[in-house]
Amino acid sequence: MSSLKRVWKFISSMKFAILLLAVLSLACAAGSFVTQGQTYEWYARQTSERTAALILALGLDDAFHSAWFLVITGFLCLNLLLCNVLRLPPLIRRTAAAGAPPRTLNAPFDARVDALSDPESLFGKLRMPAPKRSTDDMGREVLFASKHRAGLWGAWVCHLGILLLILGFALGQATREQYTVYGVPGDVRPIGDTGYMLVIDDFRIGLRADDTVEQYTADITVYDMNADGAPSRSATISVNNPATLYGMKFFQNSTGWAATVRVLKSGEEIQREVVCAGDYLTVKDNADLVVCLNAFYPDYVFTPGVGPSTASGKLDNPAYLYSVYYQERMLGMNALMEGEELTIDDYTVTFSDPQSYTLIQVKRDRFTWLALAGGLIVLAGLALALYAPTARVWAIRDANGAWTAFGACPKGGALFRERFQRAAQAKEDTTDASS
Amino acid sequence: MLRVENTLFTVVMLAYFAAMILYFVFIAVKKDGLAKAAMLLQAGGLLLHTAALVCRGVGAGRLPLTNQYEFATAFAWGLSLVSLVFVVRFRFPVLGAFAAPVVFLVIGYAAMQSREVRELMPALRSNWLGFHVSTAIIAYGAFGVSFVLGIIFLLRERMAAGGFLDHHIPGREKLDMIAYRSVSLGLLFLTFTILTGAIWAERAWGSYWSWDPKETWSLVTWIIYANYLHLRIRKGWAGRAAAIFAVAGFVCVLFTYVGVNTLLPGVHSYA
Ligand code: HEM
Repeated sequence: MSSLKRVWKFISSMKFAILLLAVLSLACAAGSFVTQGQTYEWYARQTSERTAALILALGLDDAFHSAWFLVITGFLCLNLLLCNVLRLPPLIRRTAAAGAPPRTLNAPFDARVDALSDPESLFGKLRMPAPKRSTDDMGREVLFASKHRAGLWGAWVCHLGILLLILGFALGQATREQYTVYGVPGDVRPIGDTGYMLVIDDFRIGLRADDTVEQYTADITVYDMNADGAPSRSATISVNNPATLYGMKFFQNSTGWAATVRVLKSGEEIQREVVCAGDYLTVKDNADLVVCLNAFYPDYVFTPGVGPSTASGKLDNPAYLYSVYYQERMLGMNALMEGEELTIDDYTVTFSDPQSYTLIQVKRDRFTWLALAGGLIVLAGLALALYAPTARVWAIRDANGAWTAFGACPKGGALFRERFQRAAQAKEDTTDASS
Repeated sequence: MLRVENTLFTVVMLAYFAAMILYFVFIAVKKDGLAKAAMLLQAGGLLLHTAALVCRGVGAGRLPLTNQYEFATAFAWGLSLVSLVFVVRFRFPVLGAFAAPVVFLVIGYAAMQSREVRELMPALRSNWLGFHVSTAIIAYGAFGVSFVLGIIFLLRERMAAGGFLDHHIPGREKLDMIAYRSVSLGLLFLTFTILTGAIWAERAWGSYWSWDPKETWSLVTWIIYANYLHLRIRKGWAGRAAAIFAVAGFVCVLFTYVGVNTLLPGVHSYA
């Protein structure tokens, strides 16, 4: 065999598949042990500088998109594709052959009994379909039945499903668009650069009697700014109940606190905006001055050694954690209680009216259906491969009128042989009893 | 209802413990009648266990499959169910004797968890979650049984021929086939679990697969068992190598179940 042919044979072999699957599982395990998507500094802090350098060098910080992960997956796909293509013609032949009694006397079988008087009941006991009667080349009477021929296709269907699943996932990852929009009721926000606008009409937090959250619900309207007259569509979304508008899917993802920030200059209000926790506000007439609402605590407590936290979700003791920057240098960070003021030169800043904002995830993945179809096909293939073992039973009558029965069920192994013998035995026992 | 569940749970633990002891005595004194008694006791325990889960569900007003305690007791239920089905179907009480300690360990783990009924956060209120977790229980139960079968297979190789155990344990080939049946059941249900989990994640978070450690480990487990199926087809690999894979696969199942929650970060950490 030429070496090229040997390589080809290896690439399409099941041996390679076993190797690839083993390597893939190790790769996934490795990726799961390293927190994904962090920086060198982060890894260095968590582990050591040497480990951090190693993580980055191996691409373990983004393992599931790394070159080596893609290469393994690529080889798996190639292997699967070749395996399925090459095995298709023999599979069709085998399926056709399994529907008829074997033509040769020395056809392979897994179980055999001789000297049966009533073979038909054996078919019944083995839960085979009613056998067909025919005559073979030597003029002998033959009974034959087969079942679960579709089972031969199980592995093939499963492999096809995996290919479609990987394809759907990869296409989805490559073309997916994803935006995050957040705000309080009344806010109008662009959805990335799609040309659509999202209006948050309302946002409600449903509480149970014990004050735990039952549901987050947002009413939204989306305007198509690409079209004349900006047509709009509305929907209500809540956790686990997304809505699809203009081909985009809207998810109620999470929530957080927002507060009204007022800026006064020499006692006069010059600015008033709702700012979500984590966001910055640039002072209107002084672009060098920036205020950040770092966090909001509805029921503020300060524990030495631990820091600020909230005792409950209720607005019993609201506090605003802020930081102030001048020309990108932090001037300070502190917590203000409700009604307290922050003074920077001429400016006075106040925080008030805490409210919940909603964070809405907007996604467009045109290939989710392909991945889902792949998954369902994998499931169907597995069910066929594992729960529909192809079985053939045939019986031949010799010149003396006695029958010899054969059973073939490669997937059934020892269990099939045992069942076959038991069925034949039971038959003979009843015959003995009645004679 | 929850008080009834509490009492039932204790009775179930005692029943499983007694069944385990009976199975052991059956092997020690070599009397087949004891095996039957142990199976009956296990079946009784399983029935009460089912009642306990129903009580918990009614008491909490939802599917009782959402926190560590609920999942652990349901896992023990799945293990007990699948092992009993295999014991009866393959007339294999020795399997019961080896599976009983595993069932007892899992229900013991459940007993150590907090039984408080807490309301669900919104993301967990989904029918898909119900399918996701119930299929996981059967999958885990089936993999637990393949693990036990793998151990029996490996022990059998060191056992003296002609003894009582040798007589009561099926031959190499049949044992391997029974393990194959349980892996098949597990893999089919694990596929259901992953699919329904992906559908649920898509609805709750807008992303059906995000390589969260728990997802990743369920995939690792899935790949290991898929590899088991391929190994078995190759000449000479069915049997010993397959048995080692079945044991390793269940170690991954346990890691996915407990290890990931405690050792690795991710969205599943509340589960
Ligand atoms: C994640 C990937 C894979 C999965 C889940 C998978 C699944 C399966 C299943 C369920 C079976 C049937 C086993 C049985 O009946 O006991 C099977 C058989 C088989 N697989 Fe795969 N497979 C995968 C990858 C591959 C690859 C990459 C190849 C490439 C050569 C391959 C080659 C085969 C072969 C040759 C069979 C035997 C078919 C038969 O018995 O008719 N598999 N596979």
